[in-house]
Amino acid sequence: MAFFRITLLRSAIGLPRRSTDVLKALGLKKRMATVFHAVSPSVAGQIMKVKELVQVEECQYRLTKQEVHLERKPDPGYYLEKSSSEQRGDTSL
Amino acid sequence: MFKSTQALFGGLLWKTPWRLSSPQKARQRKRLRSVDRVVDTLGAALERNGQTSKAITRWYAEMPREEEMLPKDKYTLFDKKEKSYRKSIHKLPKWTRVSQRVNPPGF
Repeated sequence: MAFFRITLLRSAIGLPRRSTDVLKALGLKKRMATVFHAVSPSVAGQIMKVKELVQVEECQYRLTKQEVHLERKPDPGYYLEKSSSEQRGDTSL
Repeated sequence: MFKSTQALFGGLLWKTPWRLSSPQKARQRKRLRSVDRVVDTLGAALERNGQTSKAITRWYAEMPREEEMLPKDKYTLFDKKEKSYRKSIHKLPKWTRVSQRVNPPGF
């Protein structure tokens, strides 16, 4: 099953009430928010109403809010050679 | 020292430039292309499902794509009050967030 991955890039401040309501119906409350909706003509029609404000991609899986957040997580700058539990295991042996 | 300027003498003075700068035009083209991309994504996804949407078929039937548009239509729009019947697109309220692609034929 395919999904639309919709991200709000531009706010609807100052635009007709209708655009704000469409965004609310799609579940987009603030800029850079991402929502997933199953591909259907009704969702496509809703996106067409706010096509200037959003970015849309088609994807196969619906991601959770946390997974979307983790995509944006920066590289920590280090990698783990050995964890402390492993080390403790080594010394006890 | 007092310097007589239009702003000091006239009171209200709008300093909106009458033409767009080239970076503004570049960003306008970028926005047009991003709208094209959104519509293409929607159309392709629905077609793969064997569905259609009235809004999308109508958009394809009526609206030109960014590369098909004339520069005249990208950066200006019809205005009956102008001498040349055209004014720069940045005079359109909320112009960066609305789609304005077609103009009356002949103008």
